[in-house]
Amino acid sequence: MKKVFAQALLLIALFLASWFAFQQIDWMKIFHVEQATKKTEEKLGDLFWDLIQKTEKVNHNKFVERSLDSLVSRICTANDIARENIKIHVIEKDDVNAFAFPGGHLIIYTGLILSAENEAELCGVICHEMAHIERNHVMKKMVKELGLSVLISMTSGNSGSELPRKAVSMLSSSAFDRKLEHEADQFAVDYLIKAQIPTEPFAEFLYKLAEKDNAINGYLSWIGTHPEPKERAEFILDYGKGKPEKAESILSKGNWDKIQDELKNE
Amino acid sequence: MNQTISTTFTPSEHEAEKASNSYLMSLIAVIAGLPLPILNLIATFAFYLGNRKGTYFVRWHCIQALLSQASLLIVNSVGFWWTISIILGSESISNDYIAYLFAAFIFNLIEFIATIHTAIQTRKGKHISWWLYGDLTDLICKPTL
Repeated sequence: MKKVFAQALLLIALFLASWFAFQQIDWMKIFHVEQATKKTEEKLGDLFWDLIQKTEKVNHNKFVERSLDSLVSRICTANDIARENIKIHVIEKDDVNAFAFPGGHLIIYTGLILSAENEAELCGVICHEMAHIERNHVMKKMVKELGLSVLISMTSGNSGSELPRKAVSMLSSSAFDRKLEHEADQFAVDYLIKAQIPTEPFAEFLYKLAEKDNAINGYLSWIGTHPEPKERAEFILDYGKGKPEKAESILSKGNWDKIQDELKNE
Repeated sequence: MNQTISTTFTPSEHEAEKASNSYLMSLIAVIAGLPLPILNLIATFAFYLGNRKGTYFVRWHCIQALLSQASLLIVNSVGFWWTISIILGSESISNDYIAYLFAAFIFNLIEFIATIHTAIQTRKGKHISWWLYGDLTDLICKPTL
């Protein structure tokens, strides 16, 4: 009996040792896994962005673009995120919504920018969406919802236009699962702190949207598709308590007001 | 890994065929149900149930085939569910995952070769006892029912 037990242990040890030995080889590099994933993401991103450009009105206001670029650049620099990984676009729509899609594309509706009272509130939402991009939540969600084979057929152009349209609609109108949303909030707070942007306005923005009258809830897509806004706001307040010690604004008050004016007049 | 044990007992043609078939069952199941690791075990278990009242030689080899499949089931099930969670869940392909697949493949290959060898030798009436599984089978399978 003892002999059998010792042999069984040895067999388990042999298996674990061979697994450990194989782990020492960089398979991801040998099989070009990361490059293949990145290429697929980029192809999907281009496909979706082409579709959005055809169906939505893209805002090309230079001042708004430059201002958003300043906000994103500060967050990226402070958090060691390659700036070229995040492609921010503004869509003219009254819905209070923002979403990310493959290839590092981040869409913000003008309705959301106009609902934000200051740059910190907007940065909170941007950081949350950036966290979805950086933590690879977008591709995970797409694989889960649509399946790997469907995504690959989309990148090869064999799926027609209906599937990409459905995928964009899914990304813009539904949340990630609870665990991923929580992770995105946590990373968003970390990004804000490192970029020396106050975290309370992000929580206040959630409170504010959650308390809006039901009558206008149809327009509050971002909050409507995300779970438990009050619970999330409490977590953000608690997690970011007392941080950052020193906050520094990115845009001047005048520039922030100018963004709002420019968007209102368009 | 395998050793041929010479015994004074010589199995009849019918016994050798049945004992050899117990190994072949797992090979056929591997071909039929490669993505589902449980199929091999079910096939060998069904064959064992059919022969549990057979002669000692037949029973012994059915149990050895079954036990060897049971340990592979654990290794393959982990690989199977890991793959499912990558395709449908939130896991992504990692170095650990690929390394695991290679380790599992090597173990499956060794088992596969050993199974073919044992099936051939058993068909010739030779008694093949595997390292670990042979001893374990001795503990479970007794000459008298």
